[in-house]
Amino acid sequence: MKVFVIDQKYCNGCYGCQIACKDEHCGNDWMPYQKPQPELGHFWMKLQETTHGQVPRVKLEYRPYMCQQCDSCPLVEKWPDAVTKREDGLVCIDPVKAQGNKDMVDACPYGVVYWNEELSLAQKCDGCAHLVDAGEVPHCVDLCPTNAIRFGDESEFTEEIARATRIDMGTESRVYYLNAPGLFIGGGAWNSDDDEVIIGAKVTLTMPDGTTRTTETDDFGDFWFRNLEAGSYRVDIQADGYASVADHAVDLTKSLNIGDFDMAKA
Amino acid sequence: MVKKGFGADKTVYDNIDWCGFGTGCNVSKVDVKDDKVLRVRPLRYDESYDIQKFNPWKIEHHGETFETPMHSLIPPTSAAYKRHAFSRNRIPYPLIREDFDPEGDRHPETRGISKYKRISWDEAVTIIAKEVKRQFDTYGPGSILMQQDGHGETKIVHPCHGCMVKLLELLGGATLQARQPDSWEGWYWGAKHAWGTEPLGQGYDQNLMLDITKNTKMLLYWGCDNETTPWGWGGQMPSRLSFWFSDCGITSVAISPDLNYSGACHADKWIPVWPNTDLALQFAIAYVWITEGLYDREYIDTHTVGFDWLEYEVMGGKDGVVKDPKWAEERCGVPARTIKALARKWHKDATTTCHCNGGSYIRSCYAHEPARMEVCLLAMQGLGAPGRNFMKFIEWNIYENPNYSPMPRDAAYLTGWAGYNAAFLDAQDRFIPKTMIPEGIAATPEEPIDWYGHVICMMPREDQFLPFQFPPKGNPGLHMIWSDTPCWSTCWNGGNEYLNALHNPNLEFMLLQHPWFENDAKFADIILPVTTRFEVEDCAIDNQSGIFNTFLHCEQAVSPRGEAKSDWFAVQEVAKKMEELFGADDPKYANLLHRYTDGRTVESSIDLTYSNSSAQIWTPIEEFKEKGYAMIPKVEDWEEDPAGFYLFYSDPVKNPLPTPSGKIEIYSTALAEHFPDDEQRMPYPHYIADSDRFHEYRESAKAKDYPYLIVSNHPRWRIHANFDDNSWLREIETCKVIGPDGYAYEPCWINPVDAEQLGVKDGDVVKIYNERGWTLGGVYVTERIFPGAVLQDHGARIDPIEPGVSDRAGANNLIAPKECTSQNCAGEVTSGFLVGVEKVDVFELAREYPVAFGRTFQADEGPDIDNWLVA
Repeated sequence: MKVFVIDQKYCNGCYGCQIACKDEHCGNDWMPYQKPQPELGHFWMKLQETTHGQVPRVKLEYRPYMCQQCDSCPLVEKWPDAVTKREDGLVCIDPVKAQGNKDMVDACPYGVVYWNEELSLAQKCDGCAHLVDAGEVPHCVDLCPTNAIRFGDESEFTEEIARATRIDMGTESRVYYLNAPGLFIGGGAWNSDDDEVIIGAKVTLTMPDGTTRTTETDDFGDFWFRNLEAGSYRVDIQADGYASVADHAVDLTKSLNIGDFDMAKA
Repeated sequence: MVKKGFGADKTVYDNIDWCGFGTGCNVSKVDVKDDKVLRVRPLRYDESYDIQKFNPWKIEHHGETFETPMHSLIPPTSAAYKRHAFSRNRIPYPLIREDFDPEGDRHPETRGISKYKRISWDEAVTIIAKEVKRQFDTYGPGSILMQQDGHGETKIVHPCHGCMVKLLELLGGATLQARQPDSWEGWYWGAKHAWGTEPLGQGYDQNLMLDITKNTKMLLYWGCDNETTPWGWGGQMPSRLSFWFSDCGITSVAISPDLNYSGACHADKWIPVWPNTDLALQFAIAYVWITEGLYDREYIDTHTVGFDWLEYEVMGGKDGVVKDPKWAEERCGVPARTIKALARKWHKDATTTCHCNGGSYIRSCYAHEPARMEVCLLAMQGLGAPGRNFMKFIEWNIYENPNYSPMPRDAAYLTGWAGYNAAFLDAQDRFIPKTMIPEGIAATPEEPIDWYGHVICMMPREDQFLPFQFPPKGNPGLHMIWSDTPCWSTCWNGGNEYLNALHNPNLEFMLLQHPWFENDAKFADIILPVTTRFEVEDCAIDNQSGIFNTFLHCEQAVSPRGEAKSDWFAVQEVAKKMEELFGADDPKYANLLHRYTDGRTVESSIDLTYSNSSAQIWTPIEEFKEKGYAMIPKVEDWEEDPAGFYLFYSDPVKNPLPTPSGKIEIYSTALAEHFPDDEQRMPYPHYIADSDRFHEYRESAKAKDYPYLIVSNHPRWRIHANFDDNSWLREIETCKVIGPDGYAYEPCWINPVDAEQLGVKDGDVVKIYNERGWTLGGVYVTERIFPGAVLQDHGARIDPIEPGVSDRAGANNLIAPKECTSQNCAGEVTSGFLVGVEKVDVFELAREYPVAFGRTFQADEGPDIDNWLVA
């Protein structure tokens, strides 16, 4: 059974995967697998990008996103004649049997099925099944410059799958993501009397469930808590010789630079 | 035999790159069926060879492994190339401007305004042949400007960079447009005088991949976007390298006004700085080191000259202003506490600075100052010590120079010059710096212009001291331009002045040959349609990817589109017509075609090139022809190569630098000797901002009217002015912003703080303006730009509203300063200048400018060529 393993840590946001999909499918007829993708407007492979934080604590998140090749694909369940779960795990829409069925677009909870108006056909990523059957890899995998997108037999990726996450909508996705960054809280500590950053301050984050994480401010006086979920947090900062910052509340709905804390001398 | 890709009836090799000048990167495979390109793929280096014979490298560090990629790492621009190659913007057939009458009124004043009508190749080359002869007969050699460099596709047999040069030389000679170091100005004009590194002025970075891996603790990506700029000139190995450095635990710090695409991927810390204010930050760092004793005094004594001049300048200098962090904070926007923290960390942790051309750091007013100041800072921390160097992520192996690649050394560098049909970057007697072409067009024998240096980017340091003028004594002024790279206005300094100069009545004829109808093409009198790389048989070289140096045989992928001919064939048509018309009566034109080609065919040109390339040493030509590519091995003992400036560091007497003293010249003895009165580029680095020459600073008086500093980077989704018509790239959210009128505007990045003050939101359209004109931008509100700065990449395809004044497309080079880098440096200033930004109503603009806004366009490809063709 095939899987995609996508390591977001190594995605450089080049959009090569998105372009590769268009290169492979726009204007190219791969029947009986796929009819041509329209030149514009379809993103069978879509690179999603999110800007996290505020100046100067800003991070970019890139996530290649496409059909999740689900084992419990709602389309397969609803239209078993037109949508096939192959033995290797890839989900394929039959371009002939699916003709005219626009309901397929909304039936996918991941929003990865596109309507081809000209052909009156629902279309999506099938893992470049035509290439896979020829012993090749999907074109997006071939063009990924950092090996952030990998494809192969599930057994080759046991270790990665064990630490991966999925965009889980209860459909048993076969696309595994590594190092999804989540949200962050970032800030800094300094003293305005000396106009100096404070290095090595102890920063404690109280999580929504009451547990804590700790870190220290770095050589720039910065601290970072990464891979957080939305929720209510509290930040405490302590440094020898300075008055502490206590119980700073953070309502986290998006990544935040909570600013530089001017810690008075004790 | 190339293994065919799935569904293909043939597969060919090609370099899909934009280095120009016969050397390139991005080795690719192109699958073709029924005269149509199916797909573009990376080349697998081991598909026809035993890769172990080429000594692939592998390094291990703290349990992590980094090794030679087994396939090329091509960028999305290569993968999307077919959309560009076959865009609706291709020039379909020869065109002549409708009111251009070569036998009568030529109407130079309507260039950029009037439309074009179709003519045949024979009609076109007849007009050209007669006009070229008339130029020589009337003015003698030198009246024709060969605009032969620019930015464009790389080819060897059919190159776009100057096929006309040899023909015009056979006829007596012309005037060369001398290409300056347009992407690394400051290094060339400033740093070269400090550390003497020829010819670039950038630091030696040989074998730094290994040195950084082992010894560096912090990398400073200073104005460096290695996730963008190398795409046309190297590919994506720089991306892999940066990920590797991070995996090794090295802290990456990005210093730039924008969180550029490199910072987005690799920076642990972003220090935003206002555009072209890095010099203040640098002086404050030096202040911290000097006042806290955090520098290598012994190294300064043994490896440099003139440090006391730097101390003097830092601690007050002529103006008596101490350049401390608080002083710098007001000028560069970086908090004083952050400057101090950065300075101390730089001293504490072995630090290497990283660069990648472009941006406001190195292409703005007085760019020589931040460049040479960086050399001083590196010297203060012991330049060349393990882990303390200067690294560049682009143009590896440039000029076949082993000093300029951090990657394991190659056993040889490929050259393509034997069969190269375009121009070489040679010094000529008659030339004009590219940065001064508008002035050059206006110059006459009675009123010449002057400057210093041949300006060409590979000239030695001493060349900068030679005086020149145009026209040279006894030569005519310009009366014709022959261009194959029509992007002056979108890539160089003061584009509006250039467009206005093209209306000069002395300029009797403007000839262009090019595949796409873009930019300066709209100002030509005759346009010849040219093929893309897919439509010709050629050969190609990759020296710059950092993987394996590779030589390709590029078979023709598809047939030429429309009536296109290659650049070489187009010039052959002109030679043939001149021979036909004038050869019988004038021996100058007799047998001209043969004299132009030397009797070479495409096949013999490829054979000649390969046989002199160095690749033949390892792979006989027969085997190369069978396999379609050949490679150069890595040397086996590459790990023993000295890293960066290590030899100089270890013994500066035995291993001197190529400066007059052999040491790092903080005080340049040569500048002091040749330009003793130059107060802009003094013998030693000094702080300079608002001045008589430039008023492009936040403290300049005109900042009241134009309060933002613009960052104009090498574009992420173009290669300079190439690719603006690529529909697949235009779908990417940072590529174009669709305005309320459906037009795809070039994004203008605005911080949310500034957006609120300006009353703009995503998708609005703003006017970006200064006293030199205006262009438009689509608002992209983002935290990736520092408040007080705005960003708009350069190179958007001009869509003139009032030619020479205003533009719809976001071609901001039009409003860049025309003045060169400084009074004795003919470099360009194309980023880090002042602009005003205000929201506009595009529908109101459409009423005010009905012709420009009435042109049809496609959001996915831009304005239609049909707007410019006579129905």
